[in-house]
Amino acid sequence: MWSNPYHLPTMWEPMEHSGKQGTIWAVGGGKGGTGKSFLTSSMGTYLAQKGRRTILLDADLGGANLHSFFGLTKPRHSLTDFFDKKIPLPDIVVPSGIPNLGMITGSIGSLDSESINHSQKQKLFRHIRGLDADTILVDLGAGTHINTLDTFLLADRMIVVTAPEVTALENMYQFIKSAYFRKLKSLFKTYDLNASIQETWKNRAAYGISTLKDLIQHLKEGSDHVRDIFEREMSGFVMHIVINQVRNHRDILVGENLKSICMNVLGLPVVYAGFARHDEAVQKNINAREPFMLANRLSPVTTEIKALTDNIVAGTPLSVQKDLLNGSLS
Amino acid sequence: MEAFHKYFDLLELPPEAGIEAIHRNYAYLRALYSGEAIELTALHGDFSPELRQDYLSRLDDAHEKLTLLLENQKPIVTPPTARMDADVRAWIEDIAGFSGAALKSIRERMNVELDDMFSITRIQPQYLDAIENECFDSFPAEVYLRSYLIEYTRFLQLDTRKVLDDYMPRYRAWAGTRRPAPPAPE
Repeated sequence: MWSNPYHLPTMWEPMEHSGKQGTIWAVGGGKGGTGKSFLTSSMGTYLAQKGRRTILLDADLGGANLHSFFGLTKPRHSLTDFFDKKIPLPDIVVPSGIPNLGMITGSIGSLDSESINHSQKQKLFRHIRGLDADTILVDLGAGTHINTLDTFLLADRMIVVTAPEVTALENMYQFIKSAYFRKLKSLFKTYDLNASIQETWKNRAAYGISTLKDLIQHLKEGSDHVRDIFEREMSGFVMHIVINQVRNHRDILVGENLKSICMNVLGLPVVYAGFARHDEAVQKNINAREPFMLANRLSPVTTEIKALTDNIVAGTPLSVQKDLLNGSLS
Repeated sequence: MEAFHKYFDLLELPPEAGIEAIHRNYAYLRALYSGEAIELTALHGDFSPELRQDYLSRLDDAHEKLTLLLENQKPIVTPPTARMDADVRAWIEDIAGFSGAALKSIRERMNVELDDMFSITRIQPQYLDAIENECFDSFPAEVYLRSYLIEYTRFLQLDTRKVLDDYMPRYRAWAGTRRPAPPAPE
């Protein structure tokens, strides 16, 4: 049960801790300004509206401002108090003003720099999972710092947000690649595969290997042991791609193109969960400090965010009709 | 069959995919990976020109092999309106080449309307018309014309291979005049 000083019974159904662990969603993507915080707050609002007890955790290093999306002032306590003052995590949760939706504010330095080590991160995640909520959405902010990547990798749903422009795609690709490499590295270390992988890579020309996809394929085909490891450890390793600020049909195809490219270059399957279009109303709402999903129930953006959130819950892809060549959609 | 699984994989399709999906994905992937898409620009060195060439040639190969495989497997449905009697058969055998105009006269001789053809092949009559008039710029790419032409010949129970061999070179000659000439070898 929530025990924070701001607790309002009308907003939170008072209930005993169910003991059920919440699902953690992490939202990253490399570049700032692509709308990660907007989407995180909107997805959280929608999940809460559907009756899921939801908590938003602002881990944006550069500027924790998720609270602004709900017209709230910066809460008194932040994640720093959890680390430094040992204040229990549930006491840092503040209500957002929307039923079923709570919020934990980050603070400068809470997840970046060298300020927290690996065991602290794991401790934080244990406590996040222990929160009495169905879903906890972690807004990671920009960048590919190791702590950001590790937080991303610890989540149950890994969500990558980008915009259909080349700079955003560059940063997003670096983010996906860095997270994926970090995952593989820990896998290789755990199962003591480094020596054989280096050996294979050294002789890659002889095996006809030119990409990471080829390398993994080769290792899996050569050994049942390695194949089993990949099946066990990587089958659930899925990133969900969301394209924000879409302006035309070609932009919608970006997610589909990335799916093909991640597979062909990295050997990494990703799911294109959906997109949200560019809409001036979004900026207006943010400036007015109103939750977009509530103020614009009939907007196409609202419909699109609902659809992509449902896809992330179910693990299903957006269905894109590729009528191709000219990049248009039928 | 192992190899065919790899071909389907390359075209990002499940092994049970049909010929239409194969043509569609091929056209999509070829356009994506041979162009200057921003998604590829974002990869920088991770997708070198060599990798791109290698990928495209494997893609072409997969498309060709799968097209052949599925063309041979596909059962020929004889539409009720396209029965070929002995007279017509003999007449067709005397035809020297399969131009668009020749195809049109065969179709008319067999009392087949373009709409009949559409009802079975689901190819829009405007494209069937473009085949008969050799209006090549109606087709966004060779692969479309080729697959429509295959359906066309199959509907009329013509020898697909023979028609393709006669018809497609005219398309390629036309397409060649529209593209800049390849750079001269050094």
